[in-house]
Amino acid sequence: MRIGVMVCHCGNNIAATVDVEAVAAAAREFPDVVYATDHMYACSDPGQKTIEQVIRDLKLDGVVVASCSPRMHEVTFRRAVERGGLNRYMFEMANIREHVAWISLDRKRNTQKATDLVRMAVEKLRVDRPLTPKSFDVQKRVLVVGGGVAGIQAALDCADGGLDVILVERRSSIGGIMSKLDKTFPTVDCSVCVLGPKMVDAGQNPRITLHALSEVEEVSGYVGNFEVKIRKRTTYVDWTKCTGCGACQEKCPSRKVPDAFNENVSFTTAINIPFPQAIPKRASIDAEHCIRLTKGKCGACEKVCPTGAIDYAMQDEFVTEKVGAIIAATGLSLFDHKKCGEYGAGRYPDVVTSLAYERMLSASGPTAGHIKRPSDGAEPKTVVFIACVGSRDRSLNRPYCSNFCCMYTAKQAILTRDHIPDSKAYVFYMDIRANGKGYEEFVRRAQEEYGVEYVRGRVAQIYPQNGKLVVRGADTLLGRQVEIAADLVVLAVGAEAAKGAPELAEKLRISYDAYGFFMESHPKLRPVETNTVGVYLAGACQGPKDIPASVAQASAAAGKVLALLSKDKLESDPQIALVAANRCIGCGKCERTCPFGAIRMRELRDGSQRAEVVETVCQGCGICSVTCPVRAIQLQHFTDSQLLAEVNALCRTWDETSES
Amino acid sequence: MAENDRMAELRAAVLQELPRLDFVLGYARGFDPLHATPITVRNEKDAGRLIFDPTCVQNLATSLYALRGKRIGLVVKGCDSRSVVELMQEKLVDRENLVIFGLPCDGVLDLAKVRTVVDIARVRGAEFTGGEVRLLLPEGEKVLPRRDVLADKCLRCRYPNPLVADHMIGEKIEPQGAEDTYADLDGFEKLGMQERFDFWKRQMSRCIRCYACRNACPLCVCKHVCLADSRDPHWLTSEATLQEKWLFQVMHALHLAGRCTECGECQRSCPMGIPILLLKRKMNRELKEVFNYEAGVDPEAVPPLHTFQMEEDKIKDRGQLW
Amino acid sequence: MPDMGRDFRIIGFLCNWCSYGGADAAGVARFSQPTDLRIIRVPCSGRVDPMFVAKALLSGADGVLVSGCHPRDCHYSEGNFYARRRLEMLRRFLPILGVDEGRFEYVWVSASEGSRWRDMVTKFTEKIHDLGPMPRMMEPARTLCSLEGMLGQSLAQPDMASGAALVLPDWDKPAGSVLTPADIAGMGAEPGAKEGGNG
Repeated sequence: MRIGVMVCHCGNNIAATVDVEAVAAAAREFPDVVYATDHMYACSDPGQKTIEQVIRDLKLDGVVVASCSPRMHEVTFRRAVERGGLNRYMFEMANIREHVAWISLDRKRNTQKATDLVRMAVEKLRVDRPLTPKSFDVQKRVLVVGGGVAGIQAALDCADGGLDVILVERRSSIGGIMSKLDKTFPTVDCSVCVLGPKMVDAGQNPRITLHALSEVEEVSGYVGNFEVKIRKRTTYVDWTKCTGCGACQEKCPSRKVPDAFNENVSFTTAINIPFPQAIPKRASIDAEHCIRLTKGKCGACEKVCPTGAIDYAMQDEFVTEKVGAIIAATGLSLFDHKKCGEYGAGRYPDVVTSLAYERMLSASGPTAGHIKRPSDGAEPKTVVFIACVGSRDRSLNRPYCSNFCCMYTAKQAILTRDHIPDSKAYVFYMDIRANGKGYEEFVRRAQEEYGVEYVRGRVAQIYPQNGKLVVRGADTLLGRQVEIAADLVVLAVGAEAAKGAPELAEKLRISYDAYGFFMESHPKLRPVETNTVGVYLAGACQGPKDIPASVAQASAAAGKVLALLSKDKLESDPQIALVAANRCIGCGKCERTCPFGAIRMRELRDGSQRAEVVETVCQGCGICSVTCPVRAIQLQHFTDSQLLAEVNALCRTWDETSES
Repeated sequence: MAENDRMAELRAAVLQELPRLDFVLGYARGFDPLHATPITVRNEKDAGRLIFDPTCVQNLATSLYALRGKRIGLVVKGCDSRSVVELMQEKLVDRENLVIFGLPCDGVLDLAKVRTVVDIARVRGAEFTGGEVRLLLPEGEKVLPRRDVLADKCLRCRYPNPLVADHMIGEKIEPQGAEDTYADLDGFEKLGMQERFDFWKRQMSRCIRCYACRNACPLCVCKHVCLADSRDPHWLTSEATLQEKWLFQVMHALHLAGRCTECGECQRSCPMGIPILLLKRKMNRELKEVFNYEAGVDPEAVPPLHTFQMEEDKIKDRGQLW
Repeated sequence: MPDMGRDFRIIGFLCNWCSYGGADAAGVARFSQPTDLRIIRVPCSGRVDPMFVAKALLSGADGVLVSGCHPRDCHYSEGNFYARRRLEMLRRFLPILGVDEGRFEYVWVSASEGSRWRDMVTKFTEKIHDLGPMPRMMEPARTLCSLEGMLGQSLAQPDMASGAALVLPDWDKPAGSVLTPADIAGMGAEPGAKEGGNG
């Protein structure tokens, strides 16, 4: 092998405390080194040109540059080496600036240390091999799982960017939780009015294929080439024929079906369109409550349907889509307050959740915007809001803050006053978290303009008395107990992971935390990526957050996807793991310990198993290299032999140069 | 259950399973009354040779990996069964192709201990009763208390009954040892660092690098791709220097971390009698303390070094300590 | 330990994303450190095989320092969790080999913790200086092999570490008796306690 070494002065940075010429002279004696020089500024244009020239003139196989940190200039020099005609991985750096020259003034010791580091780099280079990145085709399509505001935003951004989008939503309409809200904070503008146009866009956009009442069944493949099997659950209505006229809903005799969209405040029919602004605006039958499907009688909807869209024999259908990237936007669900005995454990009809209250407030909701006590239908005059139900509570295994409850409680308190001018609202709180734009001012408005009384303390008990609910709590600022006779109690229930989130995470091969929220790659610097290359996160599925944050994250995820799929081919970094199939014993330990699922076991013709690395997914961490009992799988450019070369070089140099 | 009855039951079970197996691996009498030898049983005549007594020291599970693909039966003691469980845990053995005959065991001989009392080459016969070993020599009978000549691992055995078996032959036995107190490690650790280093240096000067320890280990499945011999990656050389021999022993102990079931075959097979089991026991003691883990007990368990927890109770942040 | 006039041999395995950056940060801030440490860059602390550390210590390194990202901050999300378990087991295992456990440390240093890195290096180097050079498993002046004549003088290297007079093996002592478990258990009971086997 023919190696060239360049030792950089870096002006005075290195040369002041390291005898650079001596290091170069020592390097000349190393095995396989045919050229060694010092240079004032190796990274400069003339410096790089010298490197290119020397490679060509002396027919070098590899280059070592002793200068600054590789984190600074490795890429620079790799390109220079490539221009000189070598593979860019036949290059090593010795850090003699940050790690030598700048941390000690002992010139003699520094020079010896620099010489040792150059020796280590040379020894590693002698074992380095050229590496070639692989390139592969990608599908310019993206799957968005979840049709809430985050999913819709991500879908629209991706479609605008020129990608085809498959949007899969579990319910029969997109819109998510935002479609259930009456107004949004801090602007108190109508939620569905803001979301509606986006929903329509998503439904009509030629690039977006919407699968409602559908779920992801199975995911296989890897970034650029995922294969997703989607289960389209049967609606019993042919949606190509249904016009959303609603005639079926009017005639359906099964009228006592708990209405999930309206948070069970009211009932709906077995065949229904969930809400007026639903997209797709199509009817679907709830099989459990349909008289025809359970007992074989009725069939009223079939008779009245003007287009003959009803099909009682319909089955689930499976669709397979090929996509290049996946965005998970599955949102969240709300804490089940029945776990809280102190608030009645769901026994008191007048203790409602915030979302149920939101439906009551909504003009298009079950009570047409009239707030009524569920028990007797009377208008409440005293409404008590309790914050942090199922949040910030270690005893319920929900120690986290749910992010938006302080704000929506303030909003609901304001709206209560709007709807019932002579009402009085109380809020029992621990802290107020109002950290967004205009949020703090909003909460102040609630207190100062709308007369909402904020009591700092927790509620110990609610019990019924004389038709009202006695709310017993503490006012810690005044240092006394309080009791309020409330007509209605609204619990600010906290956020939880969406139902079925862990199962979906396993299908997508992404991680989730102890509470079921999906895990991002890095909490600060990579909030929308996951450890599975090609799968991104948007919205509350990653952690409780409000609408602006969800939308921002959705656009961010879309941005990442657009960047990923902007090329026709993806190139994989060759500094990844590689299996020496003749050494692999097929034990599978590497597969089980890879955080990214980048390894799969392949069966050979004789029935034995071998590990195989999916080049596009491997991130190059090297955990597998240590896990493997035979070290058959090696991280390229950091193989055992290469690292051992550095260790041996160091241990040997001292024996040879026993005076320093 | 009387010994003869137990052997009859074993033979019957073996013969019952043989039609669907290639063969059964068991013990037979060896070249003298104190040695057993592994045999392959293929028919009734072979089955008649089967024995089980305290001379059956070998861990037959060592052969399991090499016999992948065959349908075999295996006779195991409690400690052997742990090797089988470990192999199952690592998915290195196909349980469907294996029929296990489990024999509860109350201890095997350590011939090195017997040798300190008699010249074992002159033993004409051996009888094993409750607490005694009766050896027949030309000059008469020599009776030895059982506890004096049992292998160390038996004195601290807590798994006398095989943990996995298709046929359990014989009554279950109570464990002999209450708890493994690692007295041998405590004793060794009274030495200072330099003394320990010198001890191993002396031991390595006796090592002939025969690799019997590696070859006898049931979990060493790497065979011809073993890292000790490999040139790529090039971890060790074959030089007969102290350093290289020692590096091999260290590598063996590290590669067995979380896997070694202390069957003791490595030490037993060492022709130079080097106490290499001490290294594995040290590793196991630390694993027990930090992860409360014992290899080869639960086939569903994940080895502690192949998994992790976000918070590790027993691992202190070293950076905070100094 | 008096200054030997030259560096000790201390090897550092630093993860590229956090610790190597921390070491760079210490350099940029010109934090003065002892010169003994030689750094090997790895992509992740999860890449550090405990065998690297063992091999380094037994091949002549006086100390080994491994540093990675703080747990939960790993660039590859799980590498340092595995590293923590593997290296803790190695740390506890080394003393049985006669290697002082102070010769190996693994710490977590992030890319912004330049001064903390300086502290780690300084303290660790001082500790290694106090412990002195690592003993080496070098052949004694005469090998036990009866082919010694053929091997010649190439293996005649004095034991560098102890500096004591050469101790030749006792050729007259009979080989044969095995080190019994009682011998091992009784070791260290008193100076000059009975040792089985040959010395």
